[in-house]
Amino acid sequence: MEIEKGKTFKYLREKRDVPQKVKDQLKEFNRIKKAMLDALKESDLTIDQLTQKLNMPKPEVVYNLMSLIKYGFVQSGDVDDMDEYYTYKLKK
Amino acid sequence: MSILQKNISFDALVVGGGIAGGEAALNLATTGFKVLLVEKELSIGGKMIMLSKVFPTLDCAACITTPKVSEISRHPNITIYTSSEVSNIDKIAENNFEATIIRKPRYVVIEDCTACQLCEQACPVSVPDQYQYNLVGRKAAFIPFSIASPKAAAIDIDNCILCGACEKVCPTNCIDFTQETEEIQISVKTVILATGFKLFDPLLMPRYGYGLFKNVITSMQMERELAPTRPFNTVLRPGDGKVPDKIAYVLCTGSRDASIGNPICSQICCMYSIKQSQLLMGALPMADVTIYYLNIRSFGKGFEEFYQQAKGMGVNFVKGKIGKIRETENGNGNLILRYENINEGIVKEAEHDMVILSVGVLPNQDASNFFKKEELKLDSYKFIYQADSLISPARTSIDGVFVAGTASGPMDIPDSILSAGSASSEAISYLIQK
Repeated sequence: MEIEKGKTFKYLREKRDVPQKVKDQLKEFNRIKKAMLDALKESDLTIDQLTQKLNMPKPEVVYNLMSLIKYGFVQSGDVDDMDEYYTYKLKK
Repeated sequence: MSILQKNISFDALVVGGGIAGGEAALNLATTGFKVLLVEKELSIGGKMIMLSKVFPTLDCAACITTPKVSEISRHPNITIYTSSEVSNIDKIAENNFEATIIRKPRYVVIEDCTACQLCEQACPVSVPDQYQYNLVGRKAAFIPFSIASPKAAAIDIDNCILCGACEKVCPTNCIDFTQETEEIQISVKTVILATGFKLFDPLLMPRYGYGLFKNVITSMQMERELAPTRPFNTVLRPGDGKVPDKIAYVLCTGSRDASIGNPICSQICCMYSIKQSQLLMGALPMADVTIYYLNIRSFGKGFEEFYQQAKGMGVNFVKGKIGKIRETENGNGNLILRYENINEGIVKEAEHDMVILSVGVLPNQDASNFFKKEELKLDSYKFIYQADSLISPARTSIDGVFVAGTASGPMDIPDSILSAGSASSEAISYLIQK
């Protein structure tokens, strides 16, 4: 096939399939991302509050929330009076 | 795989682009020899480039590594192959080795990439970031880390959904999914093995709860938490995002322990733990840090003073052997350490809210598979055997093949650099004499 610069992904797509596991992981990440961003749209939240709202295990909330900070969707806010837990908010 | 019989010639092949391999390559190149530096990762710099600071000076590791790595990358006598591995090396005659290099595709033309990160922003995929020791995610189109060299994007093809979003936004059209694995034949006159070491995997010690309890992490994960390019906004527990208050270090995890097959001292875990404890007390002034140790081995220049400084800062040192770590039953994520207090001769328990396992150093045995015709001897601990460790420490069992850095045994950064100096000197001597 003719390979057009800037569209070489089509060449590889002809040659290999994307594993179902990778597609499922993307779906799951998008679901979590949407749920977290929707929750944070309402108010700034701590990880504990996000855990309760999303009904997700805390380590998963930490991992995904920190990833969303890295990707530029979320930022950290203030720490509580005990200097233990930060609040997180949408990046504007 | 496309097989390219490139038949390129170099004076020296340096296997491993960590601090030892880089230093050895630079010494050879500065002396006028043409060097091929082969690195299996996407960036050179090895483990050192991932560190926060170095002991005992507390100098910024990145500030030392970055100029060195930049010098290596820009040197006209050094050719670097990243994402590449040596498949085999044959000694044909003195001063004549033939090697096969497998070069995996990066799917990005390095020379054209401006590291603008637009591909990273466009990529919809998120997978654990191996360069942050899985504490946070990264994209499938990604720059390995901010001080990577070469600073260019790469495509993680195993996790790519081939949506083309990265290509659409790339301003230089540097993404190229037509790249294939290449097999390259080279001939060289000498070889330096700087294949480094592996860190002990604490999953092999289930009694410490690593993997099961999220607030038990490794020293490399804490190293990332303390680095300027850290995964979190501050030091946090991965289990619940709490700022830790009572932190414990378990020294000799996977070292000095014949029961897990590694009876030797890692040489670095005492000092890097002491370093991290001092950094933690700077980052979290209210935190209590306790180090559980068997013996503190502060043997190098300035090490004992560094240890005393940590004591003076309030780090608590307990001579104790940890038997088991378990989580508290109230669900707060804290951890109970059951240990033998060696000085008091009794078994005790202590509660901490985060535990760092100071993992030991294991040999990387990859190099022994490179040679099919000659035998690259390993020592009794599976590190590369030094034929004459006193007079000629870089010599291996194969004439013309030299060893640099931790490939020959556990050592710290200054010793690795010294070892690389020794290896490059001996390689230069071999190149000149033959």
